[in-house]
Amino acid sequence: MITVLDIVARLALWLVLAPLLPGLINKVKAWVAGRRGPPVLQLYYDLARLWQKGVVMSTLASPGFVAGPAVAWVALLGAAMLLPLGPAGAVFSFHGDVLLLIYLLALARFGTTWAAMETGSAFEGMGAAREVSYAVLAEAAMIAAVLTLSVQTGSISLATMLEPTAGAGAALLAGGLFTVLLAENCRVPFDDPNTHLELTMIHEAMVLDHSGPPLAVILHGAAVKLLLFSVLLTQAVLPMGDLSPLAAAGALAGGVLAVTVGVGAVESLLARFAFRRVPLLLTTAFLLCLFALLVAWRGGAP
Amino acid sequence: MTPGLFLLLAAASLVVGMASGPRWPRLWLALTLIGAGAALLAAGLVLFGAPDWEWWSGFPVGGEKLHLRLDGLSALFLVLLATVGGAGTVYAHEYWPDRLYPDSAPRGRFWWSTLLLSLGWVLVSSNGLHFLLGWELFTVSAYFLVTLDRTRRDVRAAGWLYLVASHAGTACLFAFFALLAARTGSWELGPMLREQTGLAPLFWLALAGFGVKAGVFPLHIWLPSAHANAPSHVSAILSGVAVKMGIYGLVRFSGWLPMPAAAGWVVLGLGAVSALLGIAFAMAQNDLKRLLAYCTVENIGIILVGLGAALLGVAQGDAAWGRLALAGALLHVWNHGAFKSLLFLGAGSVLHATGTREMSRLGGLWRVMPWTAGLFALGAVAVSGLPPLNGFVSEWLVYLGLFGAVTGRSAAAWMALPAAIMLAAAGALALATFVKAGAVVFLGAPRTQAAEHAHECGLGMRVPMLTLAGVCVALGLAPGLFWQAISRATGAWHPAWAGAGAPAPLFTLGAVQIILALFAVLAAAWLWSRALANGVRRDLTWDCGYAAPAARMQYTSGSFSGITAGWFGWILRPERLLRRPRGPLPAGATRVERVPETVLEKVILPVGDVVLQASTAVRRLQHGRLQFYVLYVVAGLAAIAALVLTGGVR
Repeated sequence: MITVLDIVARLALWLVLAPLLPGLINKVKAWVAGRRGPPVLQLYYDLARLWQKGVVMSTLASPGFVAGPAVAWVALLGAAMLLPLGPAGAVFSFHGDVLLLIYLLALARFGTTWAAMETGSAFEGMGAAREVSYAVLAEAAMIAAVLTLSVQTGSISLATMLEPTAGAGAALLAGGLFTVLLAENCRVPFDDPNTHLELTMIHEAMVLDHSGPPLAVILHGAAVKLLLFSVLLTQAVLPMGDLSPLAAAGALAGGVLAVTVGVGAVESLLARFAFRRVPLLLTTAFLLCLFALLVAWRGGAP
Repeated sequence: MTPGLFLLLAAASLVVGMASGPRWPRLWLALTLIGAGAALLAAGLVLFGAPDWEWWSGFPVGGEKLHLRLDGLSALFLVLLATVGGAGTVYAHEYWPDRLYPDSAPRGRFWWSTLLLSLGWVLVSSNGLHFLLGWELFTVSAYFLVTLDRTRRDVRAAGWLYLVASHAGTACLFAFFALLAARTGSWELGPMLREQTGLAPLFWLALAGFGVKAGVFPLHIWLPSAHANAPSHVSAILSGVAVKMGIYGLVRFSGWLPMPAAAGWVVLGLGAVSALLGIAFAMAQNDLKRLLAYCTVENIGIILVGLGAALLGVAQGDAAWGRLALAGALLHVWNHGAFKSLLFLGAGSVLHATGTREMSRLGGLWRVMPWTAGLFALGAVAVSGLPPLNGFVSEWLVYLGLFGAVTGRSAAAWMALPAAIMLAAAGALALATFVKAGAVVFLGAPRTQAAEHAHECGLGMRVPMLTLAGVCVALGLAPGLFWQAISRATGAWHPAWAGAGAPAPLFTLGAVQIILALFAVLAAAWLWSRALANGVRRDLTWDCGYAAPAARMQYTSGSFSGITAGWFGWILRPERLLRRPRGPLPAGATRVERVPETVLEKVILPVGDVVLQASTAVRRLQHGRLQFYVLYVVAGLAAIAALVLTGGVR
């Protein structure tokens, strides 16, 4: 009974809190630029409005056009549920659940790119091709980061991997994972969520044809993914295991906030990179994670 | 009933089917299915509890007594053979009928039965000589199946390449078995060979011989063209089962022979390279079946990574992670057999309906072929190793093995670390490849008339695909149920790894996969109903306001893979032909991009050319003029005399 309540509470937390992050990022950007900016809750209003709207579907689209976003959304929420939340720990964890998390993120990618290809539009094809290609490097960096954590802790289960103090390579890991976060969530310098030039976009180019509830699900899923990466990054880097539960919860919230502000700051200070430089940056992220791995290996047995 | 009786029944019905096949297709279908069912039962009995089955004949065949053995490992592969063989038989009945191919269909049925029989023979025979006989028969019958449609030049070329490559491999196996027999004094095979430590170096011969058949990366040259040009049910069994015989050989003899110390490192390294480069080549293909064939190279790589990790685990004190890796590899044998056969049969339905494998001529097929499209999409999710289907379960087990080596801080970690990273990159590339394949073929607008006027395949082709899809779902949602079978096979490979219950996470994973599948279906239904409630309007694709989008404007297979093909350009060596538009009114422009069979065209063929030139040069010595021949003899004698006189020879 308590487990069920726990699951429901966590799910509600993820569902409700996730759309806050894009709003915060936009506020930071507006603040840096000296504008007032949209309300922090703007994404909530957008989602509510989209949920009420009708759908315009391409004549070419199959049912996969709607099923893809739904599957992606479920996969992202599933991945989020696997993640332990600071002092509250994980609802359930098992040996190797971290790999399930990575592959659930991949399943979400399959769903969104498949739905993008449904319309036969070259723009969406472009977006999907970029998404799946850059993910190759991002996934290599991710697995290197995960290997780092398992070398540090001698475990393959998220609950124990993320709990104890961060290892010696925490700064390297933070740099690598933050770059992966920017790439996987299609933020500057990999992608520009604000531009309206389809030729230069990744995520936005993929969802050009979506409207109404399917678009709402895609946007909400993207927000969940951003929150998921922020929580993962914070717990992988901050030594929260040593803190009291209250302090740890505070550290987690503060860390997520810091990541959010960081994303906003990067977006305000940097321009989007040319596409040919994107692989270079992702390779750098991979190398950062790899060096973190080597540092962890040299750090001796846990 | 013992497994032996079922095997006898299977063999008898296949032999009768072979004899009656050319004449009576329906009888052949029934008999082959009975044979497959009986083989499945026999293998299932052994995997789920019955003791190993062994049988010696009282009479010699070819100078040696028959020795048949069905243990956990053979049974595991026999299940695969029976399932894919049965599905392919039903498919062939409609896909390659007498009506369309009066010439080749009867021949095809005969060779199909021969192939199934010889594959089964290889799996159960436990005598080197008979193993080789079965191996050769299987190679030859597969050749005749690949070249069923031999009026086409590229089919003949593909068959020829397959035959040559296979025999290069078989030559290694001849040497392997002959040396084995010479050293032990008998053709008998079995676990007793493990005690004779002098046999270890022979493993390298086995690796080369079985590696060719398995399509390990630099030895895969025959695989793409043979898979692409064979009839699709033959491609399915080639990729699903025949290639796995190479894996069977490697697993079998790495279990029965003492292993050289480097074996695990080499197998693991070969596997990781095959996985990454195989899928990189797959991504760059524009031919649907060639893409699937290269993806087979990737999956063989994943299996070898598991096997290599298992070998390292044994070498380092029977580490438990080695067992997980081996279990993953063996489960992946089943999984790959199921989803790759499903995908090849799907590709066959597309080929059947449109007459082309060229993805740039297809598109929008989901509207006319909803079953094939849906089943292909399911296969695509499975082959990308995504939860909640079966591909994920086996890749997960292999990862657990690799991670175990890392967290245990064993020496094997130096290989496990790069292998895990390469597997992750290969997994992401597989996803990219199959989004591309599924989307370009089935989604969007039809690019040609042929694709527009395609038709759904009949029930006889749909049922085998549905069966294989069912296997993918069952293995994905309830992996715990099959653990006993896998465990039996790992026990046959290494006695210390027999028995014991499933690792607990496997059941947890199964439960999670079921919940995930359930919620995915529910969410899709919910979203769809919400969209319907709000009203759905169908309209032109929003191409940024462009009002007349045409099918040719869509992203093609080549454009989709452009980015990754660029990254792997150093090995893909794409050939580009570009004619730019010139002048104010350009008459025309072309841009052709082709990824060659790099290893074949850039390495093997040039080497072959050098050998041929050398031979041609040497052949000038042979010209039929007697006086010169006499001169050769005199010169030879003089040389020998000189050697003897100077004391070079004693």
